[in-house]
Amino acid sequence: MANNSSEAPPIVNLSYKKGDLIVREGDYGVSIYKIMDGKVRVYRESESGEISLATLGEGDIFGERTFLNRASETRSASVRALEDTKVEVWHTARLSMAYNEIPPIIKYITDQVMSRSIRMNNLIVQLATKEQKRKAGIEKEDPLASQRRFYRKKVDLFCHYRPTGASSKFNFEGRVRDISLTGLAITVTRRNAANVSHAIGDIFVVNTVLPNSKNVKLEAEVVTVGKGEKREELDVRMTITDIAAGSKKSLGFFLMP
Amino acid sequence: MSAEPLMMAYLASHETYKAGDIIIEEGSKGDWVYVVLEGQVKVTKRTSVGMLTIDVLKKGSIFGEMALFGNALQARSASVIAADGNARVGVLDTRQLIEDYESIALELRLLIKALIMGLKESNEKAAALVVAANKV
Repeated sequence: MANNSSEAPPIVNLSYKKGDLIVREGDYGVSIYKIMDGKVRVYRESESGEISLATLGEGDIFGERTFLNRASETRSASVRALEDTKVEVWHTARLSMAYNEIPPIIKYITDQVMSRSIRMNNLIVQLATKEQKRKAGIEKEDPLASQRRFYRKKVDLFCHYRPTGASSKFNFEGRVRDISLTGLAITVTRRNAANVSHAIGDIFVVNTVLPNSKNVKLEAEVVTVGKGEKREELDVRMTITDIAAGSKKSLGFFLMP
Repeated sequence: MSAEPLMMAYLASHETYKAGDIIIEEGSKGDWVYVVLEGQVKVTKRTSVGMLTIDVLKKGSIFGEMALFGNALQARSASVIAADGNARVGVLDTRQLIEDYESIALELRLLIKALIMGLKESNEKAAALVVAANKV
């Protein structure tokens, strides 16, 4: 028993707050997570925003793909807590030996299911990206959009923002860190979040002035809230839900390479 | 990698289907696991806009893998239909497969189950997205 504990790393229990990123797509990582309490979203990033692949709850497992797919070393999707979530983290050293003893036929079936699953998730991302673009009206209003390369442009722009429907006394300041036709990231002080909710799903009206001195006003929904560069800051990433034609034109012009 | 030698030990029988023949029907109950030996098969789902093909499986692909969990009452989550030409499929000895599956560590079984159940969910999601795109 005693030497067993020195070989097998223990199971670790971790807690995440609503909105926390647990696994980031593209990162190296082999741990496997079992949800003990709470709810998470598994998603991929695409040019048009986040694409949900699954919502998982208590008893569900995630992170198994990097372990089972020996051809991949990085995470195939991101996972974020949708509520306060407790997970059990399994270190794969515990499982590697057992993996080597799996009958070859089961390994084969697992590999086949893995490749079907990868194909299907790629299809989902492709279909959902199209759908999101259609919803954003990009394809309809600007047939050249799909040919142009829109990207998240790094910027540092002063902005004002407030919750939709709130009176003008709620008028916060922040800085836009990157922006595209479909989303933006802003950095704000934690004080703002103490006054009014800055949670996933909240919608803000954001006003900013582009370097070419054009005003841009848009509505955007919070998709992630994370730690900023400085302790007192928060990074808020949002998907644009509404933008007037004039603002869209100015922004599109500014984003052109 | 050729899967045939590995498969041979598990083949209970093989069947040949003409294009359009149904091999597995969505909603039916069955406990066989299959492997494509020759030709291709289509994975289809019934939706409000008709039958949708969501994947095409080539030689060596496995389908019906949910039978591994030994729950014969589980309804098939999609149909599998022979694609163009003849498709020859191998029927695997489920009892032996289940025995092999249950011989592995419980934690690993949970991982494999998560992967397989995730595929079902992905199939459903893909079909729903195609339906949404068709309703526009």
